[in-house]
Amino acid sequence: MNLDDFRDTWQQHHSETSATITINDTLLTEMKVNARVKEISHMKWARMIESIAFFFIIVVLCQYIMKDFSLSAPTVSACILSLFALIGLAGNIGQIVLIAKIDFSKPVGELQRDIYRICSHKLQVTKLLFMSVPFYMAYVVIGFDILLGVDLVQQLEQSMVWFYTLSSVILLTITSALSVKLHYRNISTPWVKHTIRFIVGERLVKMAQFINSIETTDK
Amino acid sequence: MATTKKKLFTQMMQQNKGIIYKIVNSYCQHQDDRQDLAQEILTTMWLAFDNYNNEYKFSTWMYRISLNVAISYYRKDNQRQDRVTAKDISMVHIADLSQDREMSEDIGQLYQFIGQLDQLNKAIMLLYLENEPHDVIAINLGITKTNVATRIGRIKQTLRHQFNAQRA
Repeated sequence: MNLDDFRDTWQQHHSETSATITINDTLLTEMKVNARVKEISHMKWARMIESIAFFFIIVVLCQYIMKDFSLSAPTVSACILSLFALIGLAGNIGQIVLIAKIDFSKPVGELQRDIYRICSHKLQVTKLLFMSVPFYMAYVVIGFDILLGVDLVQQLEQSMVWFYTLSSVILLTITSALSVKLHYRNISTPWVKHTIRFIVGERLVKMAQFINSIETTDK
Repeated sequence: MATTKKKLFTQMMQQNKGIIYKIVNSYCQHQDDRQDLAQEILTTMWLAFDNYNNEYKFSTWMYRISLNVAISYYRKDNQRQDRVTAKDISMVHIADLSQDREMSEDIGQLYQFIGQLDQLNKAIMLLYLENEPHDVIAINLGITKTNVATRIGRIKQTLRHQFNAQRA
């Protein structure tokens, strides 16, 4: 028997299946929310709270910049950090829009990509924090300025400034390369798979594998 | 208005409920999971019914939602905490596939075969068995027609090998 022969048997099976499932219509149509809707709603609220936090950080940093609007190290550091906060805020707004547009009647590949984008939020935030690592001196410079009122860069020797600049460039290269690699297209690479599993969980790994399997055969 | 919506939905659902049976038996190995997934599919469909466009066949819309729920559900079912409650059981009841004595041997074998496929191939196989042409399968799954044809070719080959191995 081949697959085409099975089609006829399957058609006959269709008429039998109706008797094997019983649905309580009254209970079903009273339903206002299910586990999935609750999960999506929780995500939406979490993204809203995060957006408020990012907005608050941007406001505080902008106030700090406006206080001394010059090309000093603390001001430049605050500009760098507010840029990251702005990316975070934009990402969160994008997530809220995406969550609002979730439609289970979309083609399977399309919806699964949307769900992946929503569920990979934690991964994206981690990548954002990771990308800010090369600018670690920005946190230190602002810290010194706020707590001690000292412009740290002016106190440093020229050799140390070069050392921090060089270390930041090296770190930026490494973190950029790693961030690009942490993508569902590379899910077959063991360290990418383990990292995604560690940061988000097994669910995202499976989603990544599913989307990847669609795209690999589509090429 | 709400009563008409309820009536229309339940009427269409009763006519096509076999789809749910086929999907839950293809995507879940355990009876508890089948029951849970069926409930998840039904409630998702009911909550999405307001957006149903009647230009499309109800069965096509139902297949899309069921497959989307099944694919995303199955990913997390290993650690599911929210198992079926008494209310869920009374909402939907699915006959246990392993206890179904009236089911033909061929259908039993077919479910076993579908169960071994990956998530995407399961969806392709189900739509193929429903006599859907390649382009319709491609649209519903959001993949290319070539991808569908390639995968069906591979599925046929695997099935042939399995049958030959069984005979031998």
